[in-house]
Amino acid sequence: MPVTSENDLYELVRSAIDPAALVRHVRAGQDGAIVTFDGFVRQESHGPATKYLEYEAYEPMALAKMREIGSQMHERFAIHGVAMVHRLGRLDIGETSVFIAVSAPHRAAAFDACQFAIDTLKRTVPIWKKEYFQDGAIWADGEIPPAAPKPKPAS
Amino acid sequence: MPSVSPGIRVKVLFFGRVRELTGLREEDGEVREGATLGDLLEGYIQRFPQLAGFRASLVASRNQEFAAWDTRIAGGDEIAFLPPVSGG
Repeated sequence: MPVTSENDLYELVRSAIDPAALVRHVRAGQDGAIVTFDGFVRQESHGPATKYLEYEAYEPMALAKMREIGSQMHERFAIHGVAMVHRLGRLDIGETSVFIAVSAPHRAAAFDACQFAIDTLKRTVPIWKKEYFQDGAIWADGEIPPAAPKPKPAS
Repeated sequence: MPSVSPGIRVKVLFFGRVRELTGLREEDGEVREGATLGDLLEGYIQRFPQLAGFRASLVASRNQEFAAWDTRIAGGDEIAFLPPVSGG
């Protein structure tokens, strides 16, 4: 049975992410720390200038994988609440594409869990981005998710 | 009492570069009894030879879970061939 907090929030959205609302969502009286990660669209300084990005996802699987990351965070780290939101569709330079907030009684667990969350999301959640330039577009290189386990024999 | 076995019907989804290369978002497919995810991919590579160059970078999912290429397909499965992920 996965460990989750019923107050955790995992969402895919198509409009602007409100970081302050997510911080409020995980903040509770028994906590002493919140660590957040705000990932936003970078203006490339090498190569052609990015105009905007388009994100797409295998939505039900992406949400399931985000919840799975949340359960691993609760298993591994002494944290209290998690909010993890990824935006899809067209995003302009400077707009937040992913925001993660983690609350905990003590800061070390919140830092570690937040880093684990973004690193694992980038490796395992089926979301793709395409970068648009003045004269063309390319799919971002991306990461190959870890090899799937061997199938279980039919029962 | 084996007889001619009917094909297994599956739903196949396409994302990112694979969606663009095939021009497909979703289609109903049919595979033979005993076919694996790898067999299904080979069928698509025959139909869309431009996928061959990406074969090594794709991973498969079956019913929204990553799955090994030798996983056998069952009727009603939802299958996708996922390019390298780049969220965040």
